[in-house]
Amino acid sequence: MGVSFPSTDYFEALKARMVEQDEKFRRLGYIDTTFGVAVGQNGKARNFILEFEVFDLKNVREVASIDLKQVDFVLEGDSPVWREMIENIKRNGQADASHDINTLAHFGERLKIRYDDPDGHDKLYRFMESIQEFFDLSSKLDVSF
Amino acid sequence: MAYLATNNYFEDKDFVDKWLYTMRTGELDLSWMNAATEKVKPKEANPRRGLTYRDIDLGSYGYTDMPEKVRRNRSYAPRGAEIPEGVPDAQPWVSRKSELWAFNTESYYEEAVSRQWNATTDIPWDRLEGVELPENIGKSLSQLMTFLTEVEMIATDTPAMWLPRLNPDFIEVRSFIASQAMDEARHAEVFRKRALTTGWGLMQASPMNEMALKHLRDADSFSEMSVALHLVAEGNVLTLFRFSEYLSPTDVDKRIFRLVMQDEARHVGYGMQHFKYVLEHFPEKREVLHAHLDEAENISFAGAAATELTEAFIILAGGGMKQENIEEGIKITTKFNLKQMQEHFERLDKCGMPERRERSKLYKMYEMGVAAAQAAGINLN
Repeated sequence: MGVSFPSTDYFEALKARMVEQDEKFRRLGYIDTTFGVAVGQNGKARNFILEFEVFDLKNVREVASIDLKQVDFVLEGDSPVWREMIENIKRNGQADASHDINTLAHFGERLKIRYDDPDGHDKLYRFMESIQEFFDLSSKLDVSF
Repeated sequence: MAYLATNNYFEDKDFVDKWLYTMRTGELDLSWMNAATEKVKPKEANPRRGLTYRDIDLGSYGYTDMPEKVRRNRSYAPRGAEIPEGVPDAQPWVSRKSELWAFNTESYYEEAVSRQWNATTDIPWDRLEGVELPENIGKSLSQLMTFLTEVEMIATDTPAMWLPRLNPDFIEVRSFIASQAMDEARHAEVFRKRALTTGWGLMQASPMNEMALKHLRDADSFSEMSVALHLVAEGNVLTLFRFSEYLSPTDVDKRIFRLVMQDEARHVGYGMQHFKYVLEHFPEKREVLHAHLDEAENISFAGAAATELTEAFIILAGGGMKQENIEEGIKITTKFNLKQMQEHFERLDKCGMPERRERSKLYKMYEMGVAAAQAAGINLN
């Protein structure tokens, strides 16, 4: 069954795949972070907050706007960039060397990382492999845009 | 000779007689069963997470109610145990909580244990078979790996040498520092392995960077070491790992850098939380830390400009050695250097040292660098 991006259904589908691959995510270790995903579309943004705890995505919700003080960081980008990343993951089974999160966000040219607290910002890197593997689960979904 | 026992037990007739008497009669002393210690019932707050140090933060065993100055225990007695007469003085150097504690210390250790990885088996080394990088890229990658191996060897030594100096009552910090030493040893391993798998072997050691690294090892106090290692050096290295991941020529290198950056970010996290803690609980230290930052920033500034590292970065960032590659490489490397400095000051601001920008010569260099980059048309976002 397909899911559309961006939507809570998309993140819920990743959450379900994460549960199926519990052993893999346990091996990667605790992931304790709450972060935002902002997807720009036609001058507006759809915003999601993802709460990870222990080895799981505990909760995901769509919000009107994201308060940077309430999250560790926000991954923000226009819809075509997210689409390119998700399609690349689908094609390769995982993000290739040009489409992983750090590469897309490093100089803020494609994805931007917004944060209030540098300690929260550093959590992106503390849990980087888990976050990347989480998005790489998109390879198992049929995503429409 | 400090290691001598206080008695020669082989020649102590009473001791030997008691040993033989117990074997012969089975008569037990059992006085230890009456140890005057607290009975508690620890419980997992979250069974999925397991039984954590936070779950056993209970009464006399806990860290919450630990005194600022630990005077009671100078031995290896675990916190909360009965300490009988006769335990030796282990002569810890650090017995003051604010000298080493960090907010959430215990959770950094639990995270470290949970997120360990294996440089031998978690890296898909087989995917490097058949990968042939252009000579200048391969040598630049190997130079970067040579430098990083040097960094990680001293980053292993530095926390490890502080371990026996920390009062055993601070078991959570000691555990975290031990986990850091293990992380750094694994980093030295993975970078050495990657240098050799480039096919070019190791490149050249870095005098400038080794001088900078020695500074970390020779700090006068734990807090000074932590500021120089966790905040300044590892903060810079974290930015460097992200930058290196961005530049990585293969997905194997990408994975290596994603895994090492996780560990590094955790160390920086501990450093930030310690820095905040010490500024709040030991305010007299502020001036000492400024003085140590003066030196750490001076050395950090010099190390970042080491020729053998900077040139390797420029070639990797630009993708080669043609004029247009070099021009692009200089732009990207400049952005990286300025990002390192910017993030350093952001961290200090958040830790409660916003005045650092006014005092720091590094900050003046940062402002000068930003102006020069903008004049050169480099987009800093």
